[in-house]
Amino acid sequence: MPQLLGVFTQPQHIADAARRLRDRGFTDIETFSPAPFAELDDAVDPKPSGVRAWTLIGGLTGVVTGYAMTLWMANNWQIMLGGKPFSSIPPYTIIAFELTILFGGLMTLFGLLAVGRLPSFRMHKAYNARFSAEDFGLVVDCRDRDVAEIDGLMREHHATEVSVVQA
Amino acid sequence: MTPPPAEPVAALIRPVPVARDSQVNRDLLRVMEGTSVGYWALLHIAVGFMLAAGGVWIYQVYKGLGIAGYAHPIFWGAYIVTFVFWVGIAHAGTLISAILYLFRAKWRNAINRSAEAMTIFAVLTAAQFLGIHVGRIWKSYFILPYPNQRALWVNFKSPLLWDTFAITTYATISMVFFYVGLIPDLAIARDRSTGWRRALYSVLALGWQGTSRQWKSHSRTVLHLSGLATPLVLSVHSVVSWDFAMSIVPGWHATIFAPYFVAGAIFSGFAMVLTMMIPVRRIFGLEAYITDYHFENMSRFLLLTSIIVGYAYGSEYFMAWYSGVESEQTAFWKRAFGPYWISTWVMIICNAFVPQLLWFKKIRTHVPTLFAISVLVNIGMWFERYVIIIGGLSREYDPAVWGIYTPSWPELIIVAGSFGFFCQFFLIFLKLFPVVAIAEVKELEIHAKAHGGGH
Repeated sequence: MPQLLGVFTQPQHIADAARRLRDRGFTDIETFSPAPFAELDDAVDPKPSGVRAWTLIGGLTGVVTGYAMTLWMANNWQIMLGGKPFSSIPPYTIIAFELTILFGGLMTLFGLLAVGRLPSFRMHKAYNARFSAEDFGLVVDCRDRDVAEIDGLMREHHATEVSVVQA
Repeated sequence: MTPPPAEPVAALIRPVPVARDSQVNRDLLRVMEGTSVGYWALLHIAVGFMLAAGGVWIYQVYKGLGIAGYAHPIFWGAYIVTFVFWVGIAHAGTLISAILYLFRAKWRNAINRSAEAMTIFAVLTAAQFLGIHVGRIWKSYFILPYPNQRALWVNFKSPLLWDTFAITTYATISMVFFYVGLIPDLAIARDRSTGWRRALYSVLALGWQGTSRQWKSHSRTVLHLSGLATPLVLSVHSVVSWDFAMSIVPGWHATIFAPYFVAGAIFSGFAMVLTMMIPVRRIFGLEAYITDYHFENMSRFLLLTSIIVGYAYGSEYFMAWYSGVESEQTAFWKRAFGPYWISTWVMIICNAFVPQLLWFKKIRTHVPTLFAISVLVNIGMWFERYVIIIGGLSREYDPAVWGIYTPSWPELIIVAGSFGFFCQFFLIFLKLFPVVAIAEVKELEIHAKAHGGGH
């Protein structure tokens, strides 16, 4: 099963090409981009990134941990001070706030690793250092009989070169 | 459908020939190449300062805190002053990365990397002072939520404990932020290096290839980290200020302290970024990426925060007078005309008056003057903390317990060593990681090209 690699120089062109290919039913698409371009990422997969759920879960865990830890510790060994309550919510809010940020931030990092499938121990066969320079790459898995069509479609969208990825 | 053919990880160690590299990559990776005699000299000086301070610190551990200049009633001295100073320096990086990111201020792209690095190094430097100030370093784990031998827990009502959580969180999140932003640039460096560097960058880049899945989660991650770091950066120096404001020392017990400290922290942070980046730009020829426009924008921040800080100075005096509280009035009178009057006037002139020069565009765009102003601001901000801490403690309520503190030589060496500690990290950073966020600069360039000509 051949893989076709098209090289582009502008994000809009590769985004249009990717969208056209998806519409034609070629869903096995991979792109390489030297910088983030939302239009390209959305063309390949319009769904919002799953990282958001990780941040939310981390933040909620943090705020619960912050209050639970401080309240539990204050009541585990109670210190009587002038008849005041053993626990005091306002200062504990500071701890809860910091842990919200801490856990939320760390979970966001883990979310990046999980959702972005990092670390990736194998480099894509079509990856080349030019894609960390200025070029964009679009890789499509296709059947032999579709090669000519995809080649034409990519060139129509200003692909500067199209080649078959050597297995 | 079969999975795409893949290369084994061993192939990562083989350099990939780059047929057509971009100008941005070449220019910005060049900073990491080669080391001049001057670089080694600076690194040796920095490490020398750090080692001298380390030696003095070991001596202090052996002799005890008696070798510091503490004199009743002043037991917070130069160590705490310098701790607050470095925490303040740490604020520019996250402000530039997080808050300016959320405001879509694109000019941050050229300076965010180095500012974030400075944030991490400054927090690390500040954290040293907690251990140094504690004196009995082997007991410093007492600050962690850990029950002592009588099963008594730490007191979460203490601002010092809030500080532990704030600083730990800030250090961790700053490092995460720095690393996440670095990943795409590490991949750029990986594709263009050989030997141990290639091995190092291959590991650190986590196999980054810039696929849309990776970029999409990366952009989302940066957005969320910015959202989390924005309240964090405002909270950290607020919490540090509460170390003082929660007490009843005249001159400390003020509600203005949190915003006053945050503005001062951003002020000093931007000054330090200017102090470090002006020479770096010159030495490494980065004028095409870090332009006068960036320096001018940073100097506008300096001007804005200088006005806020100056306003806070004024309002402190007004409140002391208007409150009619005698101890408060005496504290502020003694601040300006008492034993520490020199520090106070250095602080007021450097922080509130000198930056007013930045109203003039000629001065904002004249780099040597800007450098001089940034150095003066750094000095002024160190003295601000000195005035608040030492000045406050020296003139509390009862004249019978007034005292005078002068930093001792071990304290001064350790304070000087902290600058070496900070600078050695920064110098190593310059040679190990891209000093400008390459992928972000490219994003702007490619956009500019796509929309014809550009900026």
